Amino acid sequence: MKELVNAIVELDERKSYEIAKRILEETRDPRVVLEAIREAAEIIGEKYEKGEFFVADLILAGEIMKTVSDLARQKLKELGEARKVIGKLVIGTVEGDVHDIGKNIVISMAEAVGFEVIDLGVDVPPSKFVEAIKQYQPDIVGMSGLLTVAIDSMKRTVDEITKAGLRKDVKIIIGGGRVDQYACEYVGADAWTTDAAEGIRIMLKWMEEKSK
Amino acid sequence: MSYSSFELLSKWIERHEKEPDVVAKEKLDRIIKITELKAPDRIPLLAPGGDFMLAQSGITWYDLSYELTGKVKNAVSKFALEYPGDFAIFFVPYLLEGFALAAAFSDFPDFSNSIRFLSGPLHDVLKDKWSRWPGRELRENQHPQFIGGEFMKPEEYRKLIDNPVEFMHNTILPRACPGLGTPGTPQWNGTLVRAGIAVQKTMSFMMEVLTQLKGYASFPLTNAYVPADIIGDFFRHPTGAMLDIRRFPEDFKAASEVLVDLIIKVATAIPPIPPLTMFFIPLHLNEMLPPKLYNEFYWPYLKKIIETLVAKGYKGFVFFEGDHSPHVDTILELPKGWGIAWFERPKNFVKNVWDKLKGHTTVAGGVSPALFYQSPDKVEEYVKNLLNEIKPEGGFMIAPGVSELPADVNPASVKAFINAVLKYGVY
Repeated sequence: MKELVNAIVELDERKSYEIAKRILEETRDPRVVLEAIREAAEIIGEKYEKGEFFVADLILAGEIMKTVSDLARQKLKELGEARKVIGKLVIGTVEGDVHDIGKNIVISMAEAVGFEVIDLGVDVPPSKFVEAIKQYQPDIVGMSGLLTVAIDSMKRTVDEITKAGLRKDVKIIIGGGRVDQYACEYVGADAWTTDAAEGIRIMLKWMEEKSK
Repeated sequence: MSYSSFELLSKWIERHEKEPDVVAKEKLDRIIKITELKAPDRIPLLAPGGDFMLAQSGITWYDLSYELTGKVKNAVSKFALEYPGDFAIFFVPYLLEGFALAAAFSDFPDFSNSIRFLSGPLHDVLKDKWSRWPGRELRENQHPQFIGGEFMKPEEYRKLIDNPVEFMHNTILPRACPGLGTPGTPQWNGTLVRAGIAVQKTMSFMMEVLTQLKGYASFPLTNAYVPADIIGDFFRHPTGAMLDIRRFPEDFKAASEVLVDLIIKVATAIPPIPPLTMFFIPLHLNEMLPPKLYNEFYWPYLKKIIETLVAKGYKGFVFFEGDHSPHVDTILELPKGWGIAWFERPKNFVKNVWDKLKGHTTVAGGVSPALFYQSPDKVEEYVKNLLNEIKPEGGFMIAPGVSELPADVNPASVKAFINAVLKYGVY
């Protein structure tokens, strides 16, 4: 399994797929592959934080993790088992903003580590977030945005969620190039991040705390 | 702090009205001096704009994009007078990137630079999928947004490399601009005529805006781009481009190579006229690439474009988007005094950017747009400290990381910023 983790972290697409396929042929428990993805995500997040990894690396990492996790899921299905969902995430780029590179990296990584993801798309008005929370009852709500105007939309969205009486039911994380601690407090979110991998780590930690 | 206490700013505004030509000449002298890495009479400042300008002028993004009337002209010139700068970027109503069009028509020097940016009226004609506009796909108070998209498959690099102009006309334009229809049809021909009319209209409006400004100097500005950003912004989407670099490295390089020639053709369509002709390049993929990929797939082409144009007598004006600090050292490979490098949000501006580049490259930046949320006193204090670190070295322009400030920043703090530069920027 260490071999697979390393191949993913080294961003070696071909090697990752080969190793994953081999493990899945040999093992009776595809979950070890999913566990490797999770471990790789942690390491990649740390590397990004240290400045060793860049957005281009996260994009490729997301692709690799998605493909490997699809292979594992297929195998689970063959064995007649479903993959355990570790949590439910509703995510969207907030109203006024249509940028989605960051959001899409988060989605592929979140799905790879075992989240069920409901993608609301871009330019999502507050009311749509509220409806989605009612409908899907997620553990976490993710709001993304690149433009400075996104910060205001995030605040309005959190306010609407609070008004609907749903704030205590969900953890909220905001992400994007221009968010910071100041923005997080202003918006009323639980966490902020400028990188997808760190966002995944925060969400995994939340799910771990919740399951205790 | 009240408006009246910004004494230096008030006096400068007064001079803009009383002796606009003298003020304009002073500004131009400052810009020329800093591009020569010298110290002018005072550190020049780059003027604010964006949502803040609209909030102060009571117009919307829709107005700015589509209302090519006196209302917008007056709002822009009033704002430019109230919040003046030495260097200002007025591309109204050209608001979004459109360099692929300039490259596609690079054989037409008489208009290739006029279609280097997208405008609302041009979007209405081409119906391009690269951009979304207020009052059209977006609400009237929303900033026009560039979203790009995927308009070619990785298998098509070969066609792009073999004949980039033909590929853009026959493959990219029909896919990205449905308004054009099929090449060679009446719809295609007619739409291109309409596009020409829209460009003419927006160009003359921009000239009208510029002539109405009091106390602003203008100098010729031409345009260039980085091949990897043409591929990322207009052909493959940034995500696709970043994957291609890893999956099809040779194709990506060969495509970059052929695009360099078109880019230089566009840039040199406007000849270099003394004392100052600048070429503008905004960078997009730069901060997203790790140094290894930046040095192999991005920088060699950017360097070649800058070196070629500088050798022809132009000066550069390059916007280093995001946090460019991991790649700053490469800039030292350029000839000394090549132009202005403007940094959006590098980590530790003074240490990572200024200390490394001073005396070699003219640097612009140093101010986070978030600073304008602070009180006027704090802004003044920040400017004072920063300029004390910069001086007595020349070759610097103080600038917000992006000229587009958020709508809700404190107007008094923006005034305090300008006033403080007038106060502490004197050499």
